[in-house]
Amino acid sequence: MTDRERLGIDVGGTFTDFVHLKNGVLFAHKVPTTPDDQSAAIGSGIRQLRAAEQAAIAHGTTTATNALLERRGARCALVTTKGFRDVLAIGRQNRPHLYDLSQHRPAPLVPDALRFEVDERIAADGSIVRPLDEDEVASVAAALRGLEVESVAVVFLFSFRHPEHERRAAEILAAHLPHVDVCVSSEVLPEYREFERTATTVVNAYVQPVIGRYVERLTDVVAPRSIRIMQSNGGTIGPVQAAVQPARLMLSGPAGGVVGAFNLCRTTLGDPAPRLLTLDMGGTSTDVALCPGRIPRTSESEIAGLPLRLPSIDIHTVGAGGGSIARVDDAGALHVGPTSAGAVPGPACYGRGGTEPTVTDANLVVGRLLFDRFLGGDVELDVDAARAAVDSRARGLGLSCTETALGIIRIANAAMERALRRVSIERGHDPKQYTLVPFGGAGPLHACELADALGIGRIVLPTHPGVLSALGLLMADVVYDASISILNRGDETAALYRRQREHVLEVMAREGFEAPAVETFVDMRYRGQSYELTVPVDLPNESPDAAAARFHEAHRRRYGHARPDAAVEPVTVRVRATAAGAEVALPREEEAAASDAAPFDRRTLVRSDGHEVAAPIYERDALRYGHTVDGPAVIAQYDATIYVAGGWRASVDPWRTLHLTTAHLNTA
Amino acid sequence: MDPILLELYRHRFAGIAEEMGVTLQRTAYSPNIKERLDFSCAVFDADGRMIAQAAHIPVHLGAMPRSVEAALSAVDAWEPGDVAVLNDPYAGGTHLPDITMISPVFVGDELHFFAASRAHHADVGGMTPGSLPLYDEIYQEGLILPPVKLCRGGRVNDDLLQVILRNVRTPEERRGDLAAQQSAHAVAADRLTELVDRHGREEVSDYAGHLLSYSERLLRERIRTWPDGVYTFSDTLELDDEAARITVQARVSGDGVAFDFDGTSPAVSGSLNAVMAITESACYYTVRCLAAADVPVNDGCFRPIDVAAPAGCLVNARAPSAVAGGNVETSQRIVDAVLGALAQALPGSVPAASQGTMNNLTIGGARRDGRPYAYYETIGGGMGGSPDAAGLSGVHVHMTNTLNTPVEALELAFPFRVDAYALRRGSGGDGIHPGGDGLVRRYRLLEPATVTLLSERREHGPWGLAGGSPGRPGRNVLLRDGVEERLPSKFSRRLDAGDVLIVETPGGGGWGAPGGPERPDDPQES
Repeated sequence: MTDRERLGIDVGGTFTDFVHLKNGVLFAHKVPTTPDDQSAAIGSGIRQLRAAEQAAIAHGTTTATNALLERRGARCALVTTKGFRDVLAIGRQNRPHLYDLSQHRPAPLVPDALRFEVDERIAADGSIVRPLDEDEVASVAAALRGLEVESVAVVFLFSFRHPEHERRAAEILAAHLPHVDVCVSSEVLPEYREFERTATTVVNAYVQPVIGRYVERLTDVVAPRSIRIMQSNGGTIGPVQAAVQPARLMLSGPAGGVVGAFNLCRTTLGDPAPRLLTLDMGGTSTDVALCPGRIPRTSESEIAGLPLRLPSIDIHTVGAGGGSIARVDDAGALHVGPTSAGAVPGPACYGRGGTEPTVTDANLVVGRLLFDRFLGGDVELDVDAARAAVDSRARGLGLSCTETALGIIRIANAAMERALRRVSIERGHDPKQYTLVPFGGAGPLHACELADALGIGRIVLPTHPGVLSALGLLMADVVYDASISILNRGDETAALYRRQREHVLEVMAREGFEAPAVETFVDMRYRGQSYELTVPVDLPNESPDAAAARFHEAHRRRYGHARPDAAVEPVTVRVRATAAGAEVALPREEEAAASDAAPFDRRTLVRSDGHEVAAPIYERDALRYGHTVDGPAVIAQYDATIYVAGGWRASVDPWRTLHLTTAHLNTA
Repeated sequence: MDPILLELYRHRFAGIAEEMGVTLQRTAYSPNIKERLDFSCAVFDADGRMIAQAAHIPVHLGAMPRSVEAALSAVDAWEPGDVAVLNDPYAGGTHLPDITMISPVFVGDELHFFAASRAHHADVGGMTPGSLPLYDEIYQEGLILPPVKLCRGGRVNDDLLQVILRNVRTPEERRGDLAAQQSAHAVAADRLTELVDRHGREEVSDYAGHLLSYSERLLRERIRTWPDGVYTFSDTLELDDEAARITVQARVSGDGVAFDFDGTSPAVSGSLNAVMAITESACYYTVRCLAAADVPVNDGCFRPIDVAAPAGCLVNARAPSAVAGGNVETSQRIVDAVLGALAQALPGSVPAASQGTMNNLTIGGARRDGRPYAYYETIGGGMGGSPDAAGLSGVHVHMTNTLNTPVEALELAFPFRVDAYALRRGSGGDGIHPGGDGLVRRYRLLEPATVTLLSERREHGPWGLAGGSPGRPGRNVLLRDGVEERLPSKFSRRLDAGDVLIVETPGGGGWGAPGGPERPDDPQES
């Protein structure tokens, strides 16, 4: 397995990134993204790289996400229990903005005219209150035939207790509508809370035809090579399975980066369970995640304002990125974001017509970003335009241009710091015990100051911060998971678990894995609470009750108190099967002969405290194993720029990863 | 003052209040707190001035400062580890289910801040389960807690806790909710101490002060653009034998605005009386919507706004008037009256009336096995159409924004079944921008239960504006053995197994006469 040729392909907004592993050598490659059909760029990249026919491909795609965000999904219908066709429109009954007298809410994914009710009702204990009216289902199917729908979601109340009504309705619909995708909620998400289950099932149905067509093109383009697609949960799955459960691909894009950071640090930190804070800073937003020795997962994510209750890597996003615009309000305070200059017109320094000062402009003004080294020097940045833009804000604040630029950076940092605190301190994790892993184009510019603010002593900078997601894909495991509500079903837990386990093993067998590792978890809460914590439980050997101690401990860590005498209620059983991905041996190099790297220039740089210094500028490619660089300094590379702040020392390891440590740690 | 630091401190204080809120929500037991976000958390300085508030529910806006004020005057000396509680509407509270906790934050041995949290507990005793009864005196509404210390020096006063627990229907739930509030306070203490340790006492308290001036300045700038003048409006509440009137005179003058409720009816029998904190919250909410949605909520936001009401009137009740409904229903009508007045000054900003009620439903009784339960829910309705947009359908409006309880969650927990939960089509008022539709919710009881409903706008629908039509009034119906019986807007009644209660909520008023003139501009914009 280990020597097989592999290819990780991550589709971004501008570029599609490839990381190719062949004969133990890693090679990175970029092709402009083809937004209308992401598979076109993938095809060109594969041809350019001359990937072997045996090569295994793993792919992160934003096709499902974009279809949802841009509302380009299928014409989709909903069939539901009599009395409840508006559940999707009502949501949780709250308005989106508290203090806005005039509000807009996006229309439901399924319009009024395509939401149908049928007579049936299951009670909370799973008993049948009213049997399914099959004739009514047939007449809905007949009506749908004239409405040219591409997919149908079937969601009945309490179907997770008694899925037969949904299944029978799906059979009838499928028989009448042979070319329509039918999704049932008891398969997509057999968990209680009807709005969340309806929304998740409808999202699945809404993108299913789009993903179906995409996967078909994709498999054609890569044939005869095999391809797997990254899911939100950080594991890949084959195209056939991905196409029936496309709602599981919604965070396919950002998942690769976290997996890449985690797997890379296992090697470069020599720790099989590294504790990391990842920071993926892009143009409009920044994604952060905390890995407490493992890939963090949650089942409470949200996309386009809709709850998506499927396992995802636990990523927290804030609206601060390189393109975030700084503005001054009526009362003289400076704000940064959430408005972004985006790719067009982009920051003022891009010279594409932007005049608003952004975080990128501020970094250029203080000398941390180099005007002549952006994208390897392909694009020259306009320092005067950046200064003029920042100056326009400085006047309103009564500050100098440099002070304002530093202020913009500090405020952007504050937003990112808050995000990092939210995933660490607020969940009972001390960031001082974590390593910060910045990636994306802009993350390495801000990492030292963020680490200082949080007391983090170590930063690891991947060799190619710009293609870490693609590397993550190449290293990802194959993962499939399933869940089911067990609330009020104490006696049946074992049977329900067995059923889910069989399902998971069946899917993995189809993926070609007969004996995957199986992990089991139970979501628990104190009886009477409404939010659960996921706790590992060794089912079926261990009963959820026996695992209660672990729940008390998790509750204490997360919320500061536990109630060991209170009753614990198991709510959901989760089963996850994992087939380990490739052991990728990252290429190592010998220690460099000279212990010091030579800077190619010295330039004026503004330190965090506002002082100007002449700082050395290095080329990342010239930094070899054994070299060290003391801050303040700037290290330039093709896809990122690194600001090594004063007090920090960067040293290069055998994999050419940079380890930044604070001075006090160096001397300790 | 450094404008960069100002922004950083805005993030820091807001972050602490929000983190308190997350902790409280996720560890609470009352559906009102955990599912419906009926709570607020705030940070105050040592003088009791609010620095930051995470409010999910506007009715708490002006009420939190009053609580801290009451606690500060009742407590002689604060020690580290102290926690005061209160719910007395006549001493810092609003209605009894809202229990407020206040704790000092010491850095070293010096008192620097107060943390405060307020949460709607599912039951605090009184005449009916859920503690929102329809009676005349505060004593009938539940256990009254004046500001008293629940903890001294980090130790819970167990005697007081026993008294509280013995006076409520679901003591275990109360114990859990109080613990959840305490956790939120522990978070605040940790974070505030860390802030001072990191940045120094002086800088932190200077910037707390700067933030208040900043909010005040921003709000005054906005109000200055409003046309000076005196604008008057009245609206009514629906009572059996009397129509209670709320009259407000809004005086816009320079960079401030004053609301005077002179002319409002005296306090009424029944629970619709509001204490002054509610009336202030309603005024602050309205001004915030019209001028300052992005201004940090703190003491500075209140300074440009003056609120006055005759003592003993419906919106400035005196003990021992009952007040359970003042918080939930009268607060909405005060907003309607204030908006009606300001519509004359700002015709391009003010929407038609929204549903104007929270449709408070309480169902209580015993399960088949004898365990008691109390279910409380408020039901959304139509939002008023505005000069810019149609009203949203099936949402909570103005003073509340609580989430619904999932039907599957409540059927797993309580002995009744929901037969329908749907939009009430056609209930929004016509207009260029029509009002949003109300909701229909049908409950089928599986066991006998006491049902209490406190609702409004059942006789007259929410008013339209600028020629738009009113929304349809709500309707409460009992379906028993196939026969429909119309129920009043407010009732408490024992119902049988098999009975079906139908609650239809009001639609929002429409804005603009169809075919009439398009959106007007506010004077300051033209």
